[in-house]
Amino acid sequence: MKKTLTVNLGGTVFNIDEDAYELLEKYLSNLRIHFSKEEGAAEIMNDFEQRISELFNDRVRLGYQVITINEVEEVIKRMGKPEEIFEMTEEETGEKQQEQDSEKKTYTEDATSQNGKKRLMRDIDNKIIGGVASGIAAYLGWDVTMIRLAFIVLLFVPYLHGIVLVYLLLWLVIPAAKTATEKLEMHGENVTVENIGKTVTNGFNKATNAVDNFITDKQENGFSGSSATQTAEGSKQSQTQPSVLHNIADVFVSVFGFLLKFIAAIAAIILTPILLLVVFVLFMVTIGLLGGGAGFLYHISPFGFDLANGMPLPFMIMGCISFILLIGIPVFGLIYAICVQFLHAHPMSSGVKWTLTILWVIMLIIDIVYFTQTGIMDNWENYWNNLDSWNNSWSSLSLLF
Amino acid sequence: MNAENVKSQMRKGTLEYCILLLLGKEPAYSSDIIQKLQEAKLIVVEGTLYPLLTRLKNDGLLSYQWIESTQGPPRKYYKMTDKGQEFLGELEAAWQELNNTIDHIKNN
Repeated sequence: MKKTLTVNLGGTVFNIDEDAYELLEKYLSNLRIHFSKEEGAAEIMNDFEQRISELFNDRVRLGYQVITINEVEEVIKRMGKPEEIFEMTEEETGEKQQEQDSEKKTYTEDATSQNGKKRLMRDIDNKIIGGVASGIAAYLGWDVTMIRLAFIVLLFVPYLHGIVLVYLLLWLVIPAAKTATEKLEMHGENVTVENIGKTVTNGFNKATNAVDNFITDKQENGFSGSSATQTAEGSKQSQTQPSVLHNIADVFVSVFGFLLKFIAAIAAIILTPILLLVVFVLFMVTIGLLGGGAGFLYHISPFGFDLANGMPLPFMIMGCISFILLIGIPVFGLIYAICVQFLHAHPMSSGVKWTLTILWVIMLIIDIVYFTQTGIMDNWENYWNNLDSWNNSWSSLSLLF
Repeated sequence: MNAENVKSQMRKGTLEYCILLLLGKEPAYSSDIIQKLQEAKLIVVEGTLYPLLTRLKNDGLLSYQWIESTQGPPRKYYKMTDKGQEFLGELEAAWQELNNTIDHIKNN
C-alpha cells in the first residue's frame, strides 16, 4: 500500500505515488535551479511540465490510474538527465566552456573508476548548526560524530577557541548542497538519474524513520554518506552495528549542538545592535575619509593619535583604507549571511566570496606592514597607554555629531 | 583531446541550424520537432530542445501560438518569423562555406 498525492502538472490533474512525486519534484527543481540564470526560465520550465504531463497522460489513457516511480524514471530518461540537458544547452562562453570540459573529463573518468568527483559542500540535511561538520565528513568519508566531537574538543583547548571563527568562516564560504546533483557531488557519486532517484528515496526513508525512532535515525544520519553509496566501504559501514559509545557520543553531540544554537541565538540578539554600531562608526569614518580628507582623518581616526607620525601621507591613507576594509569585509560578510539566513537574500556567488576573502588577506598584510613600518607594533603598550591622544581623537569625533 | 567532446561540440553547433531548417519547411509542435531530430539522430533526450526553442523565440527567430488539441490541453505550435528566415539564410551560407572548406581540404 502506498500513499498517493494529487498534483496539477501543466494543467492536468494526476494521482502520483509519494516517492514518485519526490523524485519528479527533485528533478524539476534541479532543472529550475539550473535554468534560473536564463531568460525565460519560467517558460522553459512550463514547457517541461507540459511535456511531462503529455507523457503521463498517454499512460493514464492506457488505464493506469496512478503515476508510479517507474513512470517518472521513464519520463526522466526520455527528457534527459540534468547533466545531459545542460551539456547540450549551455551557452558558450569561454569560462563556462572550460568548466564544462573539465567537468566532462571527470564524468568520463567516473565512468571507468565508478568514483565521482567530490565537492566540499555543507550537508544541510544532517546539520546541527550549519552543516559544516557533516559536509566535511561527507567529503573526507569520515564519521560525522568524530568530526563534531573534534570541533567541540578544540573549542575547549586553550588558544584554539578561534575554531568558532573558523567554523563561521567555513559556514560562509562553503556552499550548501541544495539540489540532488549537489548532494551527489558532495558524496562523490555520479550524477545520474538512478542516483538522483536514490537520494530522493533515501531522504524519504530517513524522514519516515525519524518518526519511528529518533536514536536509530540519528545513527543512520551519521552514516548518511554511506547509506547512499554502494561502494564496498559503504556497505561495510552500514553493516557495522554502532557501538553504545557511538550512540552516547551522538546524543552528547546533539545536546551540545542544541546548547550552542541556544547560546548563538542569545549572542545574536545581543550582538546585532553592536554590529550595527560598528557599521555606523565605519560609515562615519569612511565619510570622514572621503569628505574631510586625510588631514581631517589624521585627527579623528585611531591613526590620528600620532600613530602616523613620520609616515608619508599616501601611506597613511593606504593604512586607513586597508584598516576600514579589514574590519568592514567581515562585518559585511556577517550581515550578508544574516540577511541570507533570515531575509532569504540571494546568496553571494563563490566568485564574490573569494574576491572578498583574498581582498581581506591583502588588507591584513598591508595593515601588518603598516603597523610594523610605523613602529606601532614595537611600542604597542605605549600607544594603548597614551590615553590623552585617544581622548583627543574621540572627542574630535564626537564634534561631528 | 577527446573525440566525444569534439563530436558533442559539433552536434551542439548544428542544433540551432537544424531546428530552423525543420521549421523553415513547415510549422510544428515541439513534440514533432523532437521526433524529427531523434529520427535524424541529432538529439537523444527531449529536454535539450525546450531551452533552445525558448532562446530562439526570445531572439525573435521563432514565434508560436497555442493550438487546441483533441487529446489534452492546448499545445505550442512553433513557426518561423521573417527574422528567422533571414537568419536561416545566413546559416545556410555558413554551412555551405564549411562544407566547401572540408571538401577542399579533403580533396587537395
